[in-house]
Amino acid sequence: MTKEIILMLHPTFGMLAVLAAVWVFVDVLNANQRNLARIRSASLALTVLMWLSFILGGYWYVRYYGIDKAIIKAGPWPFAHAFFMETKEHLFFPLLLLSTYLPIAAAGSRLLADRSARNLVLTVAALIVLLGLAMEGSGAIVALGVKMGLLGK
Amino acid sequence: MANKNIDSYIPAFGISLMVTSLLSALLVLVKETNKPVKAWMEALTGHHWTTHGVLVLGLFVVLGLVLARIPSAATARFGADARAVAAAVIVSGLIIAGFYLAEL
Repeated sequence: MTKEIILMLHPTFGMLAVLAAVWVFVDVLNANQRNLARIRSASLALTVLMWLSFILGGYWYVRYYGIDKAIIKAGPWPFAHAFFMETKEHLFFPLLLLSTYLPIAAAGSRLLADRSARNLVLTVAALIVLLGLAMEGSGAIVALGVKMGLLGK
Repeated sequence: MANKNIDSYIPAFGISLMVTSLLSALLVLVKETNKPVKAWMEALTGHHWTTHGVLVLGLFVVLGLVLARIPSAATARFGADARAVAAAVIVSGLIIAGFYLAEL
């Protein structure tokens, strides 16, 4: 049961982090004195959520994924591991770095005055959304790879 | 968090992010094409991915903190340039995805 809960919490925290990135992106497009604190709070929330997703997903991957990996590799969708899981587990590192960097970039004193400072935060948030969605999609394909392996189709 | 001091961390950790992201992608190539390296990484923490993560995150933090103390790095426009950050992350992603695609 613990294994399943961890497996559900990993993409849940990941998707909440993606939503926080969208929130930051939209707020920065309309950055002003009134939403500055909210931008920084959302950036910090994103970092916490992404780290929770990383820790839970990483624990599950190291502890439990071996069984699923064997099923996928023996099944009709070996690419679900060979490409999607391998890429996902390594692309998560730049995603985690971006998520850790976002609150630093958002905390700058020139966020309201300097367009390039806002562009940096917008770009980091957009990359988090894109990579986060890629992680979610890859996770779905990995899960399907296991299902296909178990069905033997 | 918003003060003058934090401004030196933005380019410093921006450069650190770019360097670490690219080195992480290169480490994927090295460990996947070099069995002794992968075995060493596995032996270190019990799993190559865990070692990879420790190296990447450790380098990001240490490099960022060191660069923040170097005036030229702490004020480098390049470090806070959105296009440079995007390019580094996209190139890293292409290296990783390209490698595993080629391995299929």
